[in-house]
Amino acid sequence: MIQETQTKKDRSASVVQMKCLLIASESAEVLFQWTDAEFQQNVQEQYGASQEEGHGLPAFEDSISTLFAPIIISCSTMVDRLSDSYTSFTTENNHIYVLHQFDECLYIAVNGDGEEGEGDLRRKIYVMKKMIEVMFGMVTLSSNLLRRELRPQDTEQRARLWKHLQSLLETYSQLRENDQSFLVEAVERLIHPTLCEQCIEFLERRLVQQLNGSVERAGEEVLHAFILIHTKLLAFYSSRNASSLSTSDLLTLIIMAQNMYPSNIDPDDPHPEDVESTSGSGPDSFYTPEPSPTDRDSSSSADKPVRGSTPVFEFVDPDVQMAEDSLQALEVPPPAPSTPRRVFLEVSHKDGLYPMMPHSMYCLPLWPGISLVMLTKIPTSAVAMSVYMFLEAFAKLEKRLSEGQEGSAATRGQPTIHDVRSKLDKFIKALGPSEIQSAQLQNVWTEFKNRAFSRGGPGFNRDLIPWCKNMKTQLCGIYRQCFLIESGQANIPQRLSPSLQERAQTMMQEKLMDWKDFLLVKSKRNITMVSYPVSTLFNLTYLEDFPGLIHFICVDRSTGQMIAPSLNITERNTSELGKGPVAQFIKSKVWSLVSTTRRYLQKGYSTVTLRDGDFYFCYFLWFENETGYKLEAGDIPILPDESAPIGMLAWDYYRKLLRYYSKNHQGEVVKCYELLTVHLGVIPTEIILQHCRQLASKLWEPSRNPLL
Amino acid sequence: MAELVPPDSRRCNYFFLYDGSKVKGEGDATREGICYFYPEETPLDKQELLCGQLAGAGRCVSELSASPVRILSLRRTKFAIRMKDDFFWALGCSAEVPTISTCELLDQLINLFCFYNGSVRQSYQLYSQETLAARWAQYLSHLQSGSSKLQHIFSCLRTIDSTNVDPLLLLKAALILQACQRCPLVLAGCILFRGRVVSTQMSPELTMKVMVHESETYTKALSTFSSFGGAVSSTTVFLTMSELQYLQSAPIDKDFSCHPTPHKNTPQKKTRLSRTLSDTPSTESEPSDTSSSQSPLKGSFSPHLSDSSVFSPDPLDPPPQPLQPPFPNGKHSPEAEEEALEESYYYSFHSNEGGVSRLHSEGDRSLFEENSYLNGGGGGGDGDAACGAAFDFRGAEESCHDTVITKEAGGGGCESVQGRQAEMPDAPPGSGASDSPEECPLVPMTLYLHRVNGLVLALLVEPHFLSDTASMEEVYHSSLASLNGLEAHLRTICPGAPDAPGPYIFAHFDCIQSTLTTNLSGRPGGAPERPFVRATSLLHSHFCNTETLQEAIIRSAGAAVYGSRSVAQETYFQQHGGSLRNSGIPNHQDSAFLLPSKARHRLLKHGVNLL
Repeated sequence: MIQETQTKKDRSASVVQMKCLLIASESAEVLFQWTDAEFQQNVQEQYGASQEEGHGLPAFEDSISTLFAPIIISCSTMVDRLSDSYTSFTTENNHIYVLHQFDECLYIAVNGDGEEGEGDLRRKIYVMKKMIEVMFGMVTLSSNLLRRELRPQDTEQRARLWKHLQSLLETYSQLRENDQSFLVEAVERLIHPTLCEQCIEFLERRLVQQLNGSVERAGEEVLHAFILIHTKLLAFYSSRNASSLSTSDLLTLIIMAQNMYPSNIDPDDPHPEDVESTSGSGPDSFYTPEPSPTDRDSSSSADKPVRGSTPVFEFVDPDVQMAEDSLQALEVPPPAPSTPRRVFLEVSHKDGLYPMMPHSMYCLPLWPGISLVMLTKIPTSAVAMSVYMFLEAFAKLEKRLSEGQEGSAATRGQPTIHDVRSKLDKFIKALGPSEIQSAQLQNVWTEFKNRAFSRGGPGFNRDLIPWCKNMKTQLCGIYRQCFLIESGQANIPQRLSPSLQERAQTMMQEKLMDWKDFLLVKSKRNITMVSYPVSTLFNLTYLEDFPGLIHFICVDRSTGQMIAPSLNITERNTSELGKGPVAQFIKSKVWSLVSTTRRYLQKGYSTVTLRDGDFYFCYFLWFENETGYKLEAGDIPILPDESAPIGMLAWDYYRKLLRYYSKNHQGEVVKCYELLTVHLGVIPTEIILQHCRQLASKLWEPSRNPLL
Repeated sequence: MAELVPPDSRRCNYFFLYDGSKVKGEGDATREGICYFYPEETPLDKQELLCGQLAGAGRCVSELSASPVRILSLRRTKFAIRMKDDFFWALGCSAEVPTISTCELLDQLINLFCFYNGSVRQSYQLYSQETLAARWAQYLSHLQSGSSKLQHIFSCLRTIDSTNVDPLLLLKAALILQACQRCPLVLAGCILFRGRVVSTQMSPELTMKVMVHESETYTKALSTFSSFGGAVSSTTVFLTMSELQYLQSAPIDKDFSCHPTPHKNTPQKKTRLSRTLSDTPSTESEPSDTSSSQSPLKGSFSPHLSDSSVFSPDPLDPPPQPLQPPFPNGKHSPEAEEEALEESYYYSFHSNEGGVSRLHSEGDRSLFEENSYLNGGGGGGDGDAACGAAFDFRGAEESCHDTVITKEAGGGGCESVQGRQAEMPDAPPGSGASDSPEECPLVPMTLYLHRVNGLVLALLVEPHFLSDTASMEEVYHSSLASLNGLEAHLRTICPGAPDAPGPYIFAHFDCIQSTLTTNLSGRPGGAPERPFVRATSLLHSHFCNTETLQEAIIRSAGAAVYGSRSVAQETYFQQHGGSLRNSGIPNHQDSAFLLPSKARHRLLKHGVNLL
């Protein structure tokens, strides 16, 4: 059991309002931590109290690891012995701890100020994981490798990486608290059809064409280009041979762009230090791999044929060998601003979905608040597809073997193991002459083949499971060498040349020069209740057409886009909601309504109406086919409390919902919509429902909104 | 972990009490600290695992946050936690049960234990672990017995079905209780019939505690009195100061409180006992009593405190704490809010005109009516004592107000409990401040039980009541005939055929009286009611967490449920039949949105007024 530590001096008098997010390995090693000042102070106090001999305060990281260690260790004990695990703790002073384990990484999120509920914290954890996936790609599939990526041994590198992740997390939190599109996790477009069309044309005909035609692109190819006004999308262009960008990835990229070039969301922000900390990191530092701490001797011994030794020792820690082989001492100085950021995004190919495919992301600031983002395909990205295919094959095989299937039962499926065998042989052969160190992969693969395919060998049975794991680790290592260790490969960095980037930036600036001030204002007042016409025929505004309607949010979940009147409560010239406490109150109501309806949706309720104080809230989720015909409501899956958050950023709930619903609508394109409304409570319910009906049918009329 | 029992059948999957003080050293085995573990058949190593891990992780979290853990969730089980001194209680329910209900159940269980045994620490010093384990088991099974899934959600009192009972019988029951209260040693009472409440003068929480002894199997701890043919028994119970305070401030023994002569068997008693209904003090005298700033209350409290040292062999030695329950002898100067609470209580209670009218105007009309039937008011003329009719009415009305106030202050629903905690800054939030047995000193009292077949008269009496043979006989004989009569009547009432499953399901929870009315009971837990129970559970949690929420309609593909709540009640309604075919898009002709008006209309005949 956990030895209970000495009770600390009673600190109940002090109210601690702390926040924290921690990633720890199973051995309670801190892989990442983010804390606010209060939490840091609290931890230091506690640690100070338990340090009786008067040593100096240990490093913060060590104290936090010591303090959380009992929980982390208890967590793995619970998993091992009860195959259950902690999902949350709530204390009497309403501190909330949410825990979630992804593979061997335990995420813990803490809130002590009452502003985030369990759902918010769980969402934060999933978003953190998503951002790590976008940054590290398939390396996240190997816990051993990921652990090393997240916790570089070099403290300076670690500090740089963690600072970057911390500021991403802070940017996300700020957006979630202030931006409606991050509240509902759907992209908001700037409503200006003419300009939008012009920009798309410009991106297509001028910008992308010119870039992709240039020799300075160093083998890269621009796939997507979009213009962000703060967090809103002005124009989005994808080249013809690009697969569509998923909403989840797009939202993550917006967070990254926002993190690089923060727009002052809240000019009246009473915490200038927050802004400072986020802006201080952009253009953000680029993560470089750790220098290899090992000498060559050990690695050459690892290269020796392993056939004679006992298998236990061969795979006892494959990642150690991996590190020795593949990590080279690379002293890369912090990159220049023109260095693209490596991002791993989902690609839908004709033969299926490929997650975490490498791209380069160029984020070019045009003016404060306006930036051009370009995503390019990198020349070696085919390797990533092969690696993913092999990884999947070994994962499937491992699963079947661990389910007790043996022999041919374990190897059935597509592609067949023999396919994989010949493809992998070719793959390794092709790697040979390149700079990528594939000897270790070669060794493990040879051993695998000996066991699996040779006549006298053990064949496909449980004993092969460790070898599947080992193969996966080796493949992730190859992937890592190819796509994470960047500039070490050749003298010429693979990227659009700085001058090419500069040219793109200038072109775009020229194009938008006359519009920039308008765009910046427009992005704050995209739609308002008083100004925006509801119908092109009758020039009525929402306020006139829907008396009693205070606010609404409408989301098209099939495209991941949303429409809502702006809620700019901090602007000096505020919206019709007024400013100060009233607007703040309504904003908080909207925010809590979204989380409430998500809770009901999680439990299978797709319609919710609430009379709360002086307000009447409605929420509807429905399905339509392509022609706008409303389909019958279907059963919505009931999910457990600790399931992944409902949204599109970290885990695309709606994509799964659509797939689930479409089962009964084969051959039809099904679309999914959501509508939230806030009305004054004095309005009769029939009128409110009528408003909702009108909004639901009008908002997505093609005539009304040519962008969608 | 293997689910040994289908999660439906039990309200609670795990319960344990772990004493961390026994496992301090490195070599101490975890099992030393396990005071009680339910289900008892759980293998010891699993018990150790759960206790050790949960207590350890809980301790770690509470140190980080400087506050005890209240809720601990695993993927499959949700635990309500109570950490106090070195004790660690955990009660685990399936994840479907609302968190708030799980916490309530744990609090009830601990409070129940303290009610019958006094302080937990002391109990474990006095009695063997086995004895106390049996008691935990008994209380746990009592709290779980025969409850439906709806009752898992609302911690409610089980009452007799008032629709089948002649209101006169309820009045009669109330009168029996009032008559018993003529004896100044009797604080309050309740009448139970076959595990259900017929009438009670106590708060729902207290009534729930008293009901444990209703189960006839449990008689071991009781001392019976052969002189009454074995029908009468008694046991020592422990009240919290606040419970006692509310009981003692009942109007009926106001005058007595001013003459604190607790245990001398004075001859006065005789005269007081023979008192009839008509010779209660006139109400006019009361305001003057109270105008002297609560002095009568002081009088009523100090003697009991000194009593406690006399009655318990070793004093309960309440730890000197800044948070004393309103202990009005001036020196403690209670918190401002507490004082305010006290005052408002006082005013509404004593000032004849103002208080009453205020209550009438504020109080929900239906609440008032229901209260009066539970307390036997009802205003119906009664044949028992023609001369007492006028008084009856007044008395009933008054005691009715009494109950309302008591319950509000004593924490009826979840909101009021929270509200109360919020008012006491020093109280550890969530620990049920006023009810927390470990917080305040417990005062030993006696529970007197008079059983007539399925009928039980339970009275909370001053401890020296038992030595006061005259009083006992008086109470016994004055109530015997009425009890027999009441029992005979109640026995003849057949439980009534359960309503034919109507075109709708409803559940109505009275937060003040903690009673649940529903047309679901009696039916086996079938499929059609499951969506209703699920929706009710979600809505109830939502109502508890959002004070401003008044009404909600939620709809899934299969069912639409309407929920409505006020300060005093929560109502849930689902309409059967009729196709729920809809596209999920807003449509005011949609049957889901007609639920509020249907509920208003349909539920009138069940005495539920949603207007």
